[in-house]
Amino acid sequence: MINSVSETCKLKIGNFEGPFDLLFHLIEKNKVNIWDIPIAEITDQYMDYLFAMQKMDMEVASEFLVMAATLLHIKSKMLLPSKNEEKAESEEAADPREELAVKLIEYKKYKEISLYLRELDLKWSMAFYRPSGIYNKAYNGLYKMYGSEFETSNDNLVVSPETLKNVYQALLKKNSEKSNNRSVDIKQIIQKSKETLRSKMKQIQQLLLSKGRFIFTEIFSPAKKSVSEVVTAFLALLILVKTGNASVEQEKLFSDIIVERIKKSKKNLTLS
Amino acid sequence: MENNVKPNNNVSNIENDESNIENNIESNENNIDVDAVEGIIESLLFISGDPLSLEEISKILEMDKRRVAEIINNMKGKLEAKNRGISIREINGSYQFYTKFEYSEYVKKLFEPKQKQLLSQAAYETLAVIAYNKPITKAKIDEIRGVNSESAIAKLLERNLIREAGRLDTPGRPILYETTEEFLRCFGFSSYDDLPKLE
Repeated sequence: MINSVSETCKLKIGNFEGPFDLLFHLIEKNKVNIWDIPIAEITDQYMDYLFAMQKMDMEVASEFLVMAATLLHIKSKMLLPSKNEEKAESEEAADPREELAVKLIEYKKYKEISLYLRELDLKWSMAFYRPSGIYNKAYNGLYKMYGSEFETSNDNLVVSPETLKNVYQALLKKNSEKSNNRSVDIKQIIQKSKETLRSKMKQIQQLLLSKGRFIFTEIFSPAKKSVSEVVTAFLALLILVKTGNASVEQEKLFSDIIVERIKKSKKNLTLS
Repeated sequence: MENNVKPNNNVSNIENDESNIENNIESNENNIDVDAVEGIIESLLFISGDPLSLEEISKILEMDKRRVAEIINNMKGKLEAKNRGISIREINGSYQFYTKFEYSEYVKKLFEPKQKQLLSQAAYETLAVIAYNKPITKAKIDEIRGVNSESAIAKLLERNLIREAGRLDTPGRPILYETTEEFLRCFGFSSYDDLPKLE
């Protein structure tokens, strides 16, 4: 049973927007009256679909599972006898399927309208309007052309060529000052990091002199430590190693880096 | 009603005196030169990008709104002729020119349609639910559709087809959503009365 359903599923699966969609599909397929859904049969088919989806490694959205639970709940309600005969006749013994049927019908209305909206959207995408925003609406209801002013009131912008020239020159001056200031800032930044490299090299060499051997992380005070400081210190260390002023050891990956002074005797050893 | 064309007769007298050179929409005190009015409306609609409300047009013309609406309706009729390329749309009391569908393929050679991608089915569904139940919360939308509408709502907000409309005064104070004028415009509804009836 599952195999044949999964065969037909292969085409349909994934096309369902949600559990209502799937339910409708089943209702139509089984040619069933929505007010008299054979709940057992429909629930079984619904579950088959879910299993088939899972089997095909498709993620089943939680809404589908909620609906599955709802269907099973309704099914179980239908199977159980009513509490007592009086209740069965009173209005309290409502058809447990009724709520679902009402929801389904409401959903269907919106589904149909949504298809209609889609058509309209397509149709009206063929209508072109004059692009808006070219003219800005003035607060007093008069239209002003964007970017230029062309008011109907009496104040006009009265400016002499002299004023215009002065304003323009001032603007040029302001701009050049701005860019010059900025380049000064850049020079300073570059110099600052150079100094830090030198100072770090000094610091390492001093530590080597005093301690002879230390762990790399000891260079930094835990409070002030920053990424750039660590990077600078590491670079400084590498330079010292390259110039033969320090030796470095690391036992394992990610273990402490041990920095050691190069003893003159050791140097001789390496030569031989 | 016809006599009430100009609200302030003093003004009209002054205008009559000053502007014999300019076009005057009144050929005499009570008759309006309808042709001139149509021409003026056409100029206004042409120059305006966004829809122009009946109020604005009437204010500029200094005419009674109903008369203006009549004239515009008349214009719509005339524009149906084959040799006219534009039509007038009415959206929520505002008017706008738009190019006729029949000639859109030529217009497309000039302009790429801006962003007209169709929405997802989920988005249309969500939109439908909101349009008929506005204002409505996300939870209620989810209930009707049976699925989570979060991404559809986000998309619709992005497209300005819906907007937030305050909050519901219940625990959690959930956001309420409603459709916008843009919604009416995009789908060709002149007002919410135009929406098909839910059976």
